[in-house]
Amino acid sequence: MSSSLRPETLGTAGATDAAAPRGLGLSLLWSELRVLFGRRRTWALLLALAAIPVLIAVAVRLSSAVPAGRGPAFLDRISQNGLFVAFTAMLVSVPLFLPLTVGVVAGDTIAGEANLGTLRYLLVAPAGRVRLLLVKYAGALAFCLAAPLTVGLAGAAIGAALFPVGPVTLLSGDVIEPPQAALRILLIAAYLAVSLAGLSAVGLFLSTLTVVPVGAMAATVVVSVVSQVLDQLPQLEWLHPWLFSHYWLGFGDLLRQPLLWDSFTGNALLQAGYVAVFGALAYGRFVTKDILS
Amino acid sequence: MDYGSNDGVDGTMNRIMNGRPRQQGPEGSGADRARNRAWLRWVPAVTVPAVIAAGFLAGTIPARAGDPLPTKTPADVIALAAGHKTHTFSGTIEQSSELGLPELPATGPTAGPASADGIASAIEVLTGEHTARVFMDGKTKARIQVVDRLAERNVIRSGNEVWFYSSKDNSTAHLTLAGDASDLPLAHPGTPAAPRTPQELAERFLAAADSSTAISVGPDVQAAGRAAYNLLLEPRTNGTLVGKVAIAVDAATGMPLSVQVTARGASQPAFSAGFISLSLDQPDVALFNFVPPPGSTVEELQPGHPNRQSLSPGTPDSHATPEDLAAALEQKAGQYTTGSGWETVVAVPAEAGAASRLNALLAGNPLLAQAAVAVPGGRVLSTALFNVLLTDDGRVFAGMVPVERLQAASAAP
Repeated sequence: MSSSLRPETLGTAGATDAAAPRGLGLSLLWSELRVLFGRRRTWALLLALAAIPVLIAVAVRLSSAVPAGRGPAFLDRISQNGLFVAFTAMLVSVPLFLPLTVGVVAGDTIAGEANLGTLRYLLVAPAGRVRLLLVKYAGALAFCLAAPLTVGLAGAAIGAALFPVGPVTLLSGDVIEPPQAALRILLIAAYLAVSLAGLSAVGLFLSTLTVVPVGAMAATVVVSVVSQVLDQLPQLEWLHPWLFSHYWLGFGDLLRQPLLWDSFTGNALLQAGYVAVFGALAYGRFVTKDILS
Repeated sequence: MDYGSNDGVDGTMNRIMNGRPRQQGPEGSGADRARNRAWLRWVPAVTVPAVIAAGFLAGTIPARAGDPLPTKTPADVIALAAGHKTHTFSGTIEQSSELGLPELPATGPTAGPASADGIASAIEVLTGEHTARVFMDGKTKARIQVVDRLAERNVIRSGNEVWFYSSKDNSTAHLTLAGDASDLPLAHPGTPAAPRTPQELAERFLAAADSSTAISVGPDVQAAGRAAYNLLLEPRTNGTLVGKVAIAVDAATGMPLSVQVTARGASQPAFSAGFISLSLDQPDVALFNFVPPPGSTVEELQPGHPNRQSLSPGTPDSHATPEDLAAALEQKAGQYTTGSGWETVVAVPAEAGAASRLNALLAGNPLLAQAAVAVPGGRVLSTALFNVLLTDDGRVFAGMVPVERLQAASAAP
């Protein structure tokens, strides 16, 4: 009977500290980012990602010249231009390493708190479930941006250390100067960050389903692998444009002259769709869920 | 929080509500309401996919662009197309073929200009899908970029200088045209993958259209977002595999925007090439100034280079369509053709060496070897739009005709 009144009373309560929730959201986001990037695990993940370009660069440095057309794209260019380490490393990390690390972070968002028993304390504070969900997703997105950036910057750094750096030949045969090439590396990192947003939303939803974070992490990684396998099957061609991994290797379009934005916009639209769908699912699940831990 | 005051308000409200007996019944229990609200929480999860699906479906409905175009006769449309003067534009062309040939890897190690195997490249062009960006500035400046995944093949012409570049092996080829050359030399032996511009394709079809073909104008179509006339060509004979050719002619400029070739009895086109986007603005001039990138191997091609004479019978290396192939073969091997119009059969004698090259290719490619079916008298490479017969004695017969016609031609003295 009294419940009909609750919204009103809560409304007045909200109105009295109208300034508080907004500040609270930002401070919650800030503390989430601090916790995420203060974690030893996050640093281990980023270090592992940074090790990929280092491994590639050292291997190329120690071995003889790579014949053109063998191995992943750009590998044969590394010995002439160190900046190609960044492109090669980002290319190599797309199918497994980036989804793996993002899966760990996204799968941990809600389930991790539930597993530690801290979720109910977070919700006792007048944060609200929706805001908590948004903040958690924002944290996962921050990692999505940090991960490819780490690969790209570590690649450029180790490449510059071990190999000469000079004008970069694009796929179109045109040549750009190193500062512009650095810009392209940042663009590709942004492309990959957008590419991983959909997977993060899937991970967030899976994370609301369980209190076992490892389960959500593993499920997220499996989803990314399944999506990529389906993308390889010619029999499922009708499905391909709908798979969130469909545009993952499309960042090559950012290495053409003039820049080809088609795959960037297509990818952004697709990822936005995934974020909307799985965000709504995560909302439905998390808001109606009984928080027991 | 301030629970005390809440309780106070609740208490007050309880008293107020008790004063309204009618509200008591429907009010129900708190658990019911919670359940109702829980149901509401899932509404976004249902509506978001529904909205996305609705948006997608709305996007697939072909946009009916305002007013219908003024009616034109086929002759008007052909004249419109023939008289178009659009030589400055940039656009994206998509080509797709479903000929029934096995797909070859689009970016194999042999895809570079210097090392390309002509026939294998031609078959690669004939299968699957290709996207190319085309930039043209007048008749003498052009750049075509064949967009592959993480690779690109370029043909750049500026005046008499023509450059070919493949990112796969970072190889460059250069050609200086004779002073009077006016056509675009897109038929480089190694960079055959440039889907032809719709212009070129359409002009060939229009030239070939004679009494053997019924020409009509179909309902208006949209191509690259522009309203276009739909020129339909249907062979009057049953002796060809081609059922229908549809050419979209831009209503505003007369520029051919797309070409679709449908096999006889099929509903979907077996071959289509057309602009998916088109801008009539002048492209950036810097695009046409090509300098070989550092570290690239540069091969100098002579205009009289043996590779350039690739139109010799039986080496269909750089022809994007079977019709092109047939036309080129006809041109070079006029004395070897039988039949006319759509039913033309091209016969290549054994000494031309084409058969041995084709056989070498078949031997080197198990997928293709599988596609070449043994028939009495030889083997047949069969596609939706054309057939190629390799006889046991080394001759080659090809045409847009059923296999029986080729066999009959091979049996004829």
